[in-house]
Amino acid sequence: MNPVLNSLKQAAIDWRLVMMGTVLAAIAIVFNILSGGLFLSPENLYNIAQQTAVVGVVATVVVLVIVARHIDLSVGSVMGFVGVLIATLMYTAGWHWVSACLAGAAVAIAVSLYQGALTAMLGVPSFVVTLGGLMSFRGAAFLVADGKTQPVNDAFFQRLGGGFDGAIGVGASWLLAGLVVLALAAQSWAKRRAKASYEVPNNPLWLDAALVLVPVAIVLAFVAAMNAYQIPSKDAPQGVPIPVLIWAAVALVLSFIVHRTRFGRYVFAMGGNPEAAALVGIPVRRVTLMLFALMGVLITVAAMVSIARLNAGTNSLGSSMELYVIAAAVIGGTALAGGSGSILGSVLGALIMQSIDSGMLLLDVSIGVRYVIIGQVLIAAVVFDVMYRRLTGDTV
Amino acid sequence: MSTVNTPQALVEMRQIGKAFGGVQAVDDVSLTLYPGEVVALLGHNGAGKSTLMKMLAGAYPIDSGEVLINGEKAHIRTPVDAQRCGIESIYQTLALADNLDAVANLFLGRELLTRWNTLDDHRMDSHARKVFLRLNKNFKNVRTPVRRLSGGQRQVVAISRAIYFNAKILIMDEPTAALGPEETAMVGQLVRQLKAEGVGIFLITHDMPDVFGLSDRLAVMKNGKLVGSYRTADVTEDEVLGMIIAGKQPEGKTQTHSL
Repeated sequence: MNPVLNSLKQAAIDWRLVMMGTVLAAIAIVFNILSGGLFLSPENLYNIAQQTAVVGVVATVVVLVIVARHIDLSVGSVMGFVGVLIATLMYTAGWHWVSACLAGAAVAIAVSLYQGALTAMLGVPSFVVTLGGLMSFRGAAFLVADGKTQPVNDAFFQRLGGGFDGAIGVGASWLLAGLVVLALAAQSWAKRRAKASYEVPNNPLWLDAALVLVPVAIVLAFVAAMNAYQIPSKDAPQGVPIPVLIWAAVALVLSFIVHRTRFGRYVFAMGGNPEAAALVGIPVRRVTLMLFALMGVLITVAAMVSIARLNAGTNSLGSSMELYVIAAAVIGGTALAGGSGSILGSVLGALIMQSIDSGMLLLDVSIGVRYVIIGQVLIAAVVFDVMYRRLTGDTV
Repeated sequence: MSTVNTPQALVEMRQIGKAFGGVQAVDDVSLTLYPGEVVALLGHNGAGKSTLMKMLAGAYPIDSGEVLINGEKAHIRTPVDAQRCGIESIYQTLALADNLDAVANLFLGRELLTRWNTLDDHRMDSHARKVFLRLNKNFKNVRTPVRRLSGGQRQVVAISRAIYFNAKILIMDEPTAALGPEETAMVGQLVRQLKAEGVGIFLITHDMPDVFGLSDRLAVMKNGKLVGSYRTADVTEDEVLGMIIAGKQPEGKTQTHSL
């Protein structure tokens, strides 16, 4: 066999991710042509990136929940509840934003653990538990402030949501890009060395180099685009928006958890074969509870970004977000049957959805048509998933 | 056989009972296993043999009775407790997470960690390759999800757990049910090798050639009760079938509960 093809086949490249990246690029190019170059303008890319962050943050952890054969339909409602709570504590009760957010996190974790305990300890299907939660916590979001909108005025806190002052500027963006490039190279080098020291076969050098260069190119292009966007009334370009940084940090931490910790491995094992997981001694209940607790933490992060972006906490915050989050996970290749999914996939999935939505907005497509199309995109993603698994012989 | 110098039993299960709802799945069963001994456990589907073994492996809690390992009372409540006692199981279903690769499955629940408490993938990979190679010279695709592996390779992964973690007591639940002739021979070879190393083996099987080819003693269960336990050399296949089907003890044969 051709040695190049052979190395590509042996290397652990996730071809599904490559394909999704290609789809995203194709969507961008098509919309760019249709909109006469508006879609790929720095301003539009900046907006898409920061608009996707909230859904993206929650989608990373929903991937893990679905991988473990559970579902969480209550994410939007819990986010609304916690968001209004944080805003109320800051505005009405006069708390500092740090203590308000910590209190919000405590409540979100308690809510998640309550739903997780019903699922893990009593075996109530998470679909039912969180369907109830979808209703209840939307009600709770209303009750917190009696339905009144709570403004968020703290200037520092507002930056978390992006917007006018919510980016880190040109210099810091390039510095960050440089650090990411160095980290990617160092990681690949360390991996090669570790493999060699354990006599595990390595990829050929050119392949590992290519595997580093692709993300490097994407990071540099992204930072260049963000640095090219200048709000007309400001005297310096924006740079990378803070919500995107938060999203990236969350995705990085969750990828680390998935690949490098026992907890991550157990989540996948439980999704692949729950019976086997119990037989080999994995503490299934504890892992499920920890997963729901992690959910609570990230819902708080998303709630913070969300109210900072809107400059207010309202009782409708996060309405129907569960649909977007689950759709992002599914478009990103997470199987609803459990056992497979990736964090990076959810990032691409969220971006694909937001790009289609925002592209149609640029083209002045009416809201009805947009809903119809986004719904069908979700179905197309699942059809693709089914076909892909059939072709590659994966039955899960 | 002389009664002096009777070796210490590896496993002694005393009057074990287990009920699911109103059904007595295992009823007052006592069974022993000695080092280097293969005990075949026989009976119809639903006779209670798998349930008995799952209790020993910590997968089900024991309702009544006690288990002694090396003469000492063991408190086996979870699979982790059983693993600490040196008990490894090869389940009929193999207990593999199909979406994970062979290396991850070998170490599932007992991952090797770096000093930062993160998964030490490279060390696990290198250790696993050695074990797999010992069981099957052609086993190279250790990094693909195990659902893409052949039945024999999947069996190798399940067996490698017992080898890598140095099982003292091995439970094999129909290890050859899904295998071809070559792989069946491999399992037989392995049983003899482990036996020579002093590992005690409980072998659940329906396969008479396995029973007579591999086991030293056999125990037959029916409706949750122990029909009897005999030295394999003392009984014929018809007598064994009589015990399995009718629950009838063969006439004029003495039961043996030790070596």
